[in-house]
Amino acid sequence: MGGKLPTQTYHDIAPQKANFEYLRNKLKLKQLEAKKSFAEKFPHVEKFLKEKGIDLSKLREHSAKIIGAGAIAGTLLLTPPSGAKSLPAASEVLEKIKAQKAEAPDVPQKLLVDTLTQALPAYPRPLTKPEEKNLEQVFQNVIEIPAKASLEGEHLNTTYGYIGAEQHLMRYPGDTMATHPKIPAGDEGMAPGRGAWGYFASTKSGLTPQLIETEKWYAVVQTLYLPDWVRRQPYLRDWYKYRKVLIVNTKNGNAVVAAIADSGPAAWTGKQFGGSPEVMEYLGGARYKKGAVVVFFVDDPENKVPLGPVEYNKVNVPLVALRNI
Amino acid sequence: MSKLFFDHLVSLEDIEKEIKKVATSKEEKEELWGLVDEIMHHKVMGCILDKLPRDNHEEFLEMFHKHPHDETLIDYLQEKIGENIEELIKGEIGNLAFEILNEIKIKAEKE
Repeated sequence: MGGKLPTQTYHDIAPQKANFEYLRNKLKLKQLEAKKSFAEKFPHVEKFLKEKGIDLSKLREHSAKIIGAGAIAGTLLLTPPSGAKSLPAASEVLEKIKAQKAEAPDVPQKLLVDTLTQALPAYPRPLTKPEEKNLEQVFQNVIEIPAKASLEGEHLNTTYGYIGAEQHLMRYPGDTMATHPKIPAGDEGMAPGRGAWGYFASTKSGLTPQLIETEKWYAVVQTLYLPDWVRRQPYLRDWYKYRKVLIVNTKNGNAVVAAIADSGPAAWTGKQFGGSPEVMEYLGGARYKKGAVVVFFVDDPENKVPLGPVEYNKVNVPLVALRNI
Repeated sequence: MSKLFFDHLVSLEDIEKEIKKVATSKEEKEELWGLVDEIMHHKVMGCILDKLPRDNHEEFLEMFHKHPHDETLIDYLQEKIGENIEELIKGEIGNLAFEILNEIKIKAEKE
């Protein structure tokens, strides 16, 4: 067994707990103050919201209900995106890819970057179904990974958003950076807490090569904001655990297959996804901390698609660096 | 999904970093995230209603009630307020971040 014994970690844990309590108390106080001040200043708004059954503290739940109801009814409730482009049909995209592949078979990365530049809006936002269908065709034909925006009826909050750098996760009780693999430069160490699905193994000896790879190539998605996350437990928790996703950097075309192993980031961070240090390093290089990506589920019922870099782009492209953006 | 019309104006990454330092479980992390979210909603809505003429409050709230995710609400507010509402919201969020981070700094200095 490696790492510290529980009796030795006691002194490390206690100050952290105190810090959590301190921050929670401060935030709770601020929340009560904000609520009180709002109610005093805008009593007519409080009355209006009460009549409508909206609690400002639960705005996200209200939004999720509205969007969820719209999705069931099949209506497009999301704002027609500003700067949206007129997209070609999936068959047209496919034909174009085939033609370009025949012309320049050695530069799939350029082909992907060009296609994404053409097909995606300038800034990340939830994509429409036709946009997602087009991308599925693109990924299948250029990257050659079967990836889907919706799999078995499940769909992420958004499939086009910003990814942020996460820390390594504790794989088993007592895991430390002394024995944990690191990236060559700019490694940000290990998160003090566990991932949303707990430890990967209950003991160091239980850590299989597959679990080591799962932590190494892990992704974070906002399961906590799924409209039916609470209602459909424990099914969704199990469905998302270590679910493979294809993450594509839309600026340089680098792609990684990762396993979902944590929930987040918070909605107010401006990010929708997270990646392990290894995922981020491969997507954009050592200094890559945030960037636009597309995230689709990997359709891999026989578990044949390995985690890690998708090296469809072994040929470097002038002006589009293979690794760094 | 869950989205609010002003989400794209918010980026509190420094607070997220602090939360990650102290939360040891998913539950703790999500509890703190939720508190920040609640404070932010009150502050942002307060900032908007402060600037929006009183006569437009009900109209805005009706629109918000029906489409809380709709980013075109920003255009509506822009028109009625006549100021750059995006910058006002960003400023409000910036002040909130400063206040929270300052509390954390005070604690760190005491130790």
